[in-house]
Parts: sequence; structure tokens; C-alpha cells
Amino acid sequence: MQQQSILLLFLVLAGIATIVFVYVYLSSKKTEKSENGMSNPLKKRFWFSLILFVILGIFASVTIPKSPYYLFADENPAMVVHVMSRQFAFILSRKAIDPDKPSGEPIELPVNEVIEFRVTSMDVNHGFAIYDNTHRLITQTQAMPGYVNRLRYKFEHPGKYDILCLEYCGLAHQGMRSSFNVK
Amino acid sequence: MESLKSKKITSIWIIAVFVLFLVSIVLGILMRLNQGEIIDQSPVTFYSNMTTHGLTMIGIWFVAGMAAIHYLLQRYVKTSFTANIIALALTVIGILMLWTSTFIGEFHAAWTFLYPMPFKVMWAAWATPLFLASIAVLGVGWLIWSLSLMAQILKKYSISQAFAWQHFKKNPAVETPPFILISMITLTGVIACLLAAVVLLTLFFAEFFSNGSFVNDALLMKNLTYFFGHTIANEMLYLGLAVIYELFPEVSGRPKWKTTWYVALAWNFTLVFILTAFFHHLYMDFVQPKGLQIVGQLASYFASLPAAGVTIFSVFIAVYRTKIKWSLTNLLFFMGIAGWVIGGLGAVIDATISNNVVLHNTLWVPAHFHTYNAMGNVLFSIAFFYWFSTQSAQNIKIEKYTKLVLAILLIGGIGFLLAFYIAGADSIPRRYSTYPEELSSGATWAKVGAAFATVYLIAILIFFYNISKRCLKILFLRS
Repeated sequence: MQQQSILLLFLVLAGIATIVFVYVYLSSKKTEKSENGMSNPLKKRFWFSLILFVILGIFASVTIPKSPYYLFADENPAMVVHVMSRQFAFILSRKAIDPDKPSGEPIELPVNEVIEFRVTSMDVNHGFAIYDNTHRLITQTQAMPGYVNRLRYKFEHPGKYDILCLEYCGLAHQGMRSSFNVK
Repeated sequence: MESLKSKKITSIWIIAVFVLFLVSIVLGILMRLNQGEIIDQSPVTFYSNMTTHGLTMIGIWFVAGMAAIHYLLQRYVKTSFTANIIALALTVIGILMLWTSTFIGEFHAAWTFLYPMPFKVMWAAWATPLFLASIAVLGVGWLIWSLSLMAQILKKYSISQAFAWQHFKKNPAVETPPFILISMITLTGVIACLLAAVVLLTLFFAEFFSNGSFVNDALLMKNLTYFFGHTIANEMLYLGLAVIYELFPEVSGRPKWKTTWYVALAWNFTLVFILTAFFHHLYMDFVQPKGLQIVGQLASYFASLPAAGVTIFSVFIAVYRTKIKWSLTNLLFFMGIAGWVIGGLGAVIDATISNNVVLHNTLWVPAHFHTYNAMGNVLFSIAFFYWFSTQSAQNIKIEKYTKLVLAILLIGGIGFLLAFYIAGADSIPRRYSTYPEELSSGATWAKVGAAFATVYLIAILIFFYNISKRCLKILFLRS
């Protein structure tokens, strides 16, 4: 699970940072002489910055191509789902939705096929977040009035998926939801 | 030098910030209690409180940083007392207008008031213009203050000196003190984002008064909102860093830090990164040009480079195996830097687009920004408040109870933040007044968060009591 690895990575890094800070603090408390300090600080600073730069560079070049904008970008989606969001509901349809007479239909999607969601909003900004049947957030995009965000995803497991609004949209935001099935 | 009236106005700022901080913490705890199903607030009350909590917190820690900068800048240049008074008056008026719109008018579009939500009225109709006007009043006050401080710096230093560009050559004739350099860089960012707020509010009011003949573009408005909102929230931390550069060596009994070519370079780069990192708020708006999304990730990543390589490393050099005078001031600075680093790690993880797709608008977001605010920036400011309030007192040592207060602060802070991080990794959404049944772990972590936040509140109350007591004495001093 991506989120669990992220949490673990964070806790390890935060733990290392804490140890370094405690170590540096204790080294000051223990020292007797007034002028001791770090030897060759400029050289150490240079190497520290260079290593950090390289690590960040590697992380950026590995992660940027995995951004959702590039996922399945070269494939043709097997199905397109239009999503119209409004306070406080999602309207889903396989046909384009007329904003003057919006109407939706129950959605069933094929497993292991690329699906494209075309997400927009009739009123304020909303979030279109998909949760799997273990209630884990697997992907999302924003629903913005005047724009259509195209989100592509391949569902690898059949089952019921929930859609939750993840952009605060007003007093019933926490109840704005929908769902679809993957078979 | 710092005059008595300058000390008095700084005392007022400190007391005001503390009082508003305590109220805002209580609002935050009430939100977590509601999410934990311990109390039962209506969604309107919850979201109005959320709006008040967010904006008040950003406002107070911004002015706390500005008040500290203003006070310390007097060591180098003449500053305007009038600008300070205007900022104080407009901040008080702005906060009162804001609280009227949220508490009485029940305005609840969140602190981001993303267009077009303020116009989809779900509250008293007058609350929308009052809310927008309150932001305008605060913005004008802070713009006058920032421009005045920058003008005073530029009276003494040329633009290139204020940005320390002469340090890129060998043996510069004039040395720019680090405090001047960082203040200049930060004030430039502050003025830029406040000008963005002017454009944003102008567009809001243009639509408001046009009776439907003028409609804004939601993507442009969102970019402007985050250019303003992200940048001002980020700059308040950098205001705190300027104070650290000035006071950390001084209270530690060490030589003053100097500007070198790499310090100058780091801070000039910082300005570029601060002004472009806000794009990471729009990662999930897939219509935003991809180039800007990548700029957002790179700026967010590389902002950590000058911070770690220069500022944090300088703190390590100052402390490592060096006998220094530890006091509550530099201890809070040191702990705050650690909080800033750890929050920064959470931020860099979230600023990775491929992670953001599963973290965006979950509790991971408040987790990381509360880390570098509640356990970073707040500690920087309290360190300044403490130093300021004890300037005239002699021989203040770390007392036993001080260590206890710091322990309470750490336990409360860490527990409160962990509840956010774990819930965020568990896909719990942010800004939900209550959680749906299938996400019931959100309620459990909210209870844990509320309990630890209450412990954190106890530590803040003790700081408030001790520091405000001394500030009140300064306030009633006769010359």
C-alpha cells in the first residue's frame, strides 16, 4: 500500500532527524572547552548540500514520470465516464451530461481496462476521490467549474468503489458521495 | 535603539497574539472533538469555526513574525512607529470584521474561500462582503507595514546590497547583515503575495458588483488564492528564521553570524522557490499546464536545499561540540528548527505529485503544516516573545519547571501531530465535520488528537501566563 510506505518513510526520516538534533544538542551540553566545534565546516556543508541535491534530483526524476497526468496517456480508454459535480452530489453518466437537465445512471466498469473520467462542476470546486473496497484512497482529481479534468485509471480488482468529495464545498461536504461497481 | 513606545507596541502584539492563539487552539480542539463524536456541533458551526481557526492562525503568526522583525530591525535602520500602529489598528479591525462574518454571519467558505464559493451563499447574505472586506482591511494594513519596513531598509542599503549581491564577489566593501538580507527577501515575498491578494479581491468585488455581467475564471482565481495563501503562510516561517539569525548566536553567547557568498546565494534562491512552490496546491487540477505542475514539485523540493544546507547547517555548526549558553530562547529556537525540518519532510513527501494523488486533501496536509507551524514557527515566535519579555531581567537560567513545560509541549505536540499523520495515511479526508461509517478510524484518531492538543494547550497557557505578565509590566512602565 502506497500510503503505508509513505508513512513508514516519513517516520524513519523524522526519527533520523530527531536523533541528529538530540545528538547535536547533547554534544553541546557535554563539551567542556569553549572553542571546540565542528572541523572543516565549509567542506562538510558543501558535501551535505551536494548529497541532498543529488538525492532530491534522483527522487524528482523517478517520481515525476509517475505523476497521474502521464498514467495511461498513450492508451485509448475502453470507456469514458462523465462526472458532473454539484452541491452536494455527483452525477455519473456514460453519455455527455447536459448542465441544464443533468441526469445520471448507475455505472458499471470493466476490470483491467483503462477508464477515463471527465470531471467537472456545476457550481463550486469539488474533489472527485475514488476509494477502493478497503476504504483506501486510490486516485483523485478536482472538479472545477468551467473546466474538465480527465482522470485515467485501470481498476485491477472487481468490487464496489466509493467516490467522496475531497475539496471542501460547503455545509454538506462530508456527505457528498457516490459509488460505482467494477466487474 | 528600541524606544519605550516600541517596546510597548511589541508587548501589545505579543499579548494579542497569545489571546487569539488560545481561542484558535480551543476552536481546533472543538473541531477534533466533533470529528471524534465527543461533542455534536452542527456542520455550519463546525465549518464556521474551521474558517475562523485557519484565518486567525495564519494572521496571528504572520503578525507575530512581523512584530519581531520590526522590533529587531531598529538595530539597523530607523523604522516607522506609525506604520506599526496602522498595522495593529487594521489587524484588530480586520479580525473583528472576520469574526463577525464567521461567528454571527456564519460565513464558512474555509480560509481559502475558493472562488466561487463565497458567492454561493449558505450564510447571512451580508457575511460575504464583510468577509471579503475583512481580508482587504488585513491586507492593506500588512501591505503598508511591509512596504514601510522595506522602504526603511532601502534608505540605508541599495537594492543590490539589501539582497547581498555584492557578496558574490571577493572581499565586498559593504557587509549586509544576515538579518537585513533575510528581512528583505521575506518582505519581497510578502509584498508579492499581498499584491496577488489585491488582484484576487478586486476580481471578487468586480463580480460581486457586476450583477452577473462579469464572471471570473475558476482556475485563475485558484492560482491567485494559493499564490497569496501559500506564500503568506510560508513567509511567516521565514520571518521567524530572520529572528533566529539575529538572536540565536546572541543569546548563545557566540559571535554574530555573517553573510557569506553561500548565505547570499541560498537566500536569493529561496525567494525564487518560495514564489513558485504554491503550484503544488493545484496538482490535482489536471487542466493546469503540466510544466507548472513540475515547477511546483521542483520548487518544493529544492526550497529545502538552501534551508538545510545553509540555515539548518549553520545552527548545527553553532551548537555541535560548542559550549553555549542554553536558555529557553535558544532551546525553543533549536526545537522549532527540528519541528520545521520534520514538517518539511512531510511536506516534501506530499509535494511529490505521485504521492499527492493519494494524500491531497487527506489529514496528511494538516499533519505536515501543523508540524512546522505548531512545533516550528510557534516556537520561533514564543522564543522571541520570551527573549523580548526578559531582556531587562538578569541571570535567567533554565529552571526545572521550564523543562517540564517543554516536555508537556513536546508530548502534546507530537501526539496531536501523529494522530493527523496516521489518519492521513489511512485516507481520512480533511475538512470533514464528521466521518462516514466506513472511515470510523478518523473519529478514533480525532479523539487522540483532541486529547494531545489539550496537553499542548496547557504548555501554551503556561507560556502565556509567564510572558504576558512581563509584557503587561512593560506596557504600564512609565518612562
